[in-house]
Amino acid sequence: MAEGAAIYRTLGLTKSYGEGAAAVHALRGVDLTVHEGEMLVLLGPSGSGKSTLLNILGGLDSATSGQAWFRDLEITALDSDGLTEYRRRSIGFVFQFYNLIASLTARENVQLITDIAESPMTPEEALALVGLEDRLDHFPAQLSGGEQQRVAIARAIAKRPEVLLCDEPTGALDSKTGARVLAALDTINREVGTTVFIITHNAVIADMADEVIRFADGGIASHSRNAVRKSPVELAW
Amino acid sequence: MRPSRPLTVKLLRDLWRLRAQAVAIALVMAAGVGMVVMSYGMIRSLEATREAYYARYALADLWAPLRRAPDSLTRELRQVPGVAGVESRVSAHATLDIAGVAEPVSARIHSLPADLNRLVLRSGRLPREGRADEVVASELFVKAARLSLGDRLPALVHGKRIELRLVGTALSPEYVYSVAPGQIFPDNRRFGVLWMAREPLSAALDMRDGFNEALVRLAPGALAAETIRRIDLLTAPYGASGAFGRDLLVSDRFVTSEIDQLRTIVEILPPIFLGVAAFLLNILLARLVDTEREVIGLLKAFGYRSAAIVRHYAMLAVLLSVGGVLLGWGLGAWMGRGVAGMYQEFYTFPFLNFVGGADIYLGAGGLALLSVVLGAAGSVWRAQRLTPAEAMRPPAPAAYSRTGLTDRIVRALPDEPSRMILRGLFRRPWRTMASVAGLAAALGLYVASASSTDNVERMIDLTFVRGQRADLSLTFAEPRDARVQRELLTLPGVQRVELWRGVPAELENGPYRSRESVLGLPRGATLMRLVTLDGAVIEPPPRGALISGQLARKLGVGAGDSIAVRVTEGDRQSFTLPIAQVIDVPLGASVVVERGELARLLREGDVASGAYVMAEPGKLDVLYAALKQTPMVAGVTVASAALRGIRETIAQSMGIVTLFNTVFSVLIVVGVTYTAARISLSERARDLASMRVLGFRKGEAGFVLVGELALTALASLPLGLMLGVAISRYIAASFSSDLFLIPAAVSAKTLAQGVFVVALSAGATAWLIRRSADRLDLVRALKTRE
Repeated sequence: MAEGAAIYRTLGLTKSYGEGAAAVHALRGVDLTVHEGEMLVLLGPSGSGKSTLLNILGGLDSATSGQAWFRDLEITALDSDGLTEYRRRSIGFVFQFYNLIASLTARENVQLITDIAESPMTPEEALALVGLEDRLDHFPAQLSGGEQQRVAIARAIAKRPEVLLCDEPTGALDSKTGARVLAALDTINREVGTTVFIITHNAVIADMADEVIRFADGGIASHSRNAVRKSPVELAW
Repeated sequence: MRPSRPLTVKLLRDLWRLRAQAVAIALVMAAGVGMVVMSYGMIRSLEATREAYYARYALADLWAPLRRAPDSLTRELRQVPGVAGVESRVSAHATLDIAGVAEPVSARIHSLPADLNRLVLRSGRLPREGRADEVVASELFVKAARLSLGDRLPALVHGKRIELRLVGTALSPEYVYSVAPGQIFPDNRRFGVLWMAREPLSAALDMRDGFNEALVRLAPGALAAETIRRIDLLTAPYGASGAFGRDLLVSDRFVTSEIDQLRTIVEILPPIFLGVAAFLLNILLARLVDTEREVIGLLKAFGYRSAAIVRHYAMLAVLLSVGGVLLGWGLGAWMGRGVAGMYQEFYTFPFLNFVGGADIYLGAGGLALLSVVLGAAGSVWRAQRLTPAEAMRPPAPAAYSRTGLTDRIVRALPDEPSRMILRGLFRRPWRTMASVAGLAAALGLYVASASSTDNVERMIDLTFVRGQRADLSLTFAEPRDARVQRELLTLPGVQRVELWRGVPAELENGPYRSRESVLGLPRGATLMRLVTLDGAVIEPPPRGALISGQLARKLGVGAGDSIAVRVTEGDRQSFTLPIAQVIDVPLGASVVVERGELARLLREGDVASGAYVMAEPGKLDVLYAALKQTPMVAGVTVASAALRGIRETIAQSMGIVTLFNTVFSVLIVVGVTYTAARISLSERARDLASMRVLGFRKGEAGFVLVGELALTALASLPLGLMLGVAISRYIAASFSSDLFLIPAAVSAKTLAQGVFVVALSAGATAWLIRRSADRLDLVRALKTRE
């Protein structure tokens, strides 16, 4: 598969909390290039730095030093308002705990985004992509965990973001439900062409990625490419 | 069981974490506790002071004014069963000519007391034996008229000019509140009370070896009504207008009505404050228990008993309120001292110490604690009922439904953030309603207290602008023939004169009696018109009387009924008076009859007791100077001065109360909005963070929070305005007495101010909360389990 243009580039990206001897180094100089349209899986133990990297790339957190570019935009140079605009235009997020708005139905949760995006899908389209076309008017409390996570994905992709950042998207789900959620992510990556990052503890999921990055101690320990991407239905854990 | 150490530490940390809300609750609670301490303490202090003052300076129990009686009558009065002591005195009305006061000053002069109604000498000395010109005067009058000891006071007494000289100032238990006859608000610059040796006063009144007023002290257990009846029988031949007790002493009536007003305040305000505090505590603890489900589950899983959990949260509630109670005690004592000082100025007590008493402090604290228990009970109960397993499971997402009318409204909204706001409000209808009620209470409180000025302005407008349009009201020393009108018109500066006739009388309907003045007014009058509470001008009917609603109720009569009238002066006529109409007039005039008709009933010629006078523009001062030299005029009431007196009195007494209430209502608004918004921020933190992560700008996400606040505030406005008008009406009605009626007239300006105060404090709170919302840690908010 031919590599697309670089969508992310980082140079010596570090992040530390606290100062002096008590300082915790979450990232210790990460250099990385990510190409558009890829499916990436980030593996590694807790505290290895993968979430920190994702948060910085997604504009949720700032780096201590180093640089990161989203295409030609230096995100490490943006202020809080700049980051908001960047997230608004380009990034979709999916978290372990869905973070749906309990007082809005599935359709309305997605609409929340389509109302502020520039050329979004319709909420119905987005929900159909994740297989929830018949649950449009259900509130989160009336949906299963897997369904809630798929609403979260539909909400993240409805604005047609260039990048979808998923932090433990299946962490709170059983394997069968988890597979459906991964299938939704796979569909989006293949059919819409969105670059997808998936953080997971679950090494099996790595098989569905184009590229697998393993983290340890705040840095990239290894970087590998799968010759063949498995379909999520073939995964078993 | 000893409280466990970790729980104690948690308690203290929780308190520290909740400090901002704790302060909000404490302030609201302090207002309630402070009000209770101040009002009850003040009621007790006033009652105790009054009792001590009356006892120490021997205030008479009965007053028996008459025209003139020989000294021997006192011996007969002493024989009346139930009478323990009698003291005769000579009293007179006078007009003083005081340098520096343009208007003629009215005065009441009494002969110096011996045993009853003793004076409290405040400065100088009492008049010396044989010094005919020396007087002591009431302290407030001396201050207000800027007199100094040694000043000369030229006076017109009973048509005679006498020179008096001020040698001392004094207070009297008879004049704790001193107003000129016929007035209800003090005007200390233009009305004073003087005491002088009996001899020269009697001489001026041609009353040697006689007296015109008997003061009576009742024996313990004596029946006042029966004693009065017997005294009246003895004094009737001497032109007595009927004895009366302390209940009809104007000064005492005002003190009593002040105490009643304080009681009204305690009825209305503290329940509002304590209710609001309970509500705030309730939502705060409910939220705390929600967020601490896991902690509670963990503690229980570790083996902590439910009792320990209950104690933990109950202690938290109590500690959250301790500050409020302590602050309230301090506030109450401070306000009490302040108000006592104000009362001492206004009501001239020689001493007035604010004494709360431990029971009042404890009672107020107990009330606050009760509100805490009520506020905390639900949450604490829920906390202990959770099973460990249930508690440690994350709560399911809040349940919403798309059915029902409310959701149809929600779905009609164009955007999702608005739907979030509305669904959030509808999902917790009780809390929403309580927030709305809390804000409405605050607005109501503001409107009610600020409108007290409106009510008084309305009273002034009705009485002085539309009703009594005379510049001066003159009272003659003796009733005069109507030809006096022409005489008055010859005085310099007089433009128009209208005569009035007034006689004291006893009104009777079966068992109901009342002592009133029957006022005769001409038809078609322009200077003194009767204007009802709703602004209608009423003419005296050709036959029958107009009587006030208060009097009609007291006598149990209505239009079409008749009352028996026994005049208590002059020829003491008795007649039956049909009631033509019952009217509500704010000030004065409880029985009005057409002047010609009154003359017919009294079987007298065309006679006047006084006159209403309108002066030519700019000529008032000339007229004042002339009146100071006119012997037939015993009293002059200057409308503009009376008006000023009313305004000053109101400004003095209402100003401070309104200020307190304004501060308090702002406190409630801030307390309610801040706590509600804080809780809403904590509940919505995840939603807000989600929105921010999704790319919503700070303002867009903050809209959900601020919008909720704004909507709650908005919903409270109509309710609060209505509540304000209702409380204002209630206060006006309960502050009204048989002396005056307060109209309820909340002005648009007051309503607008109330809305402004709520909007401003809600806006400030919204700004504060927005700032906290802007600083949300997005990652942490999203990655923690709810």
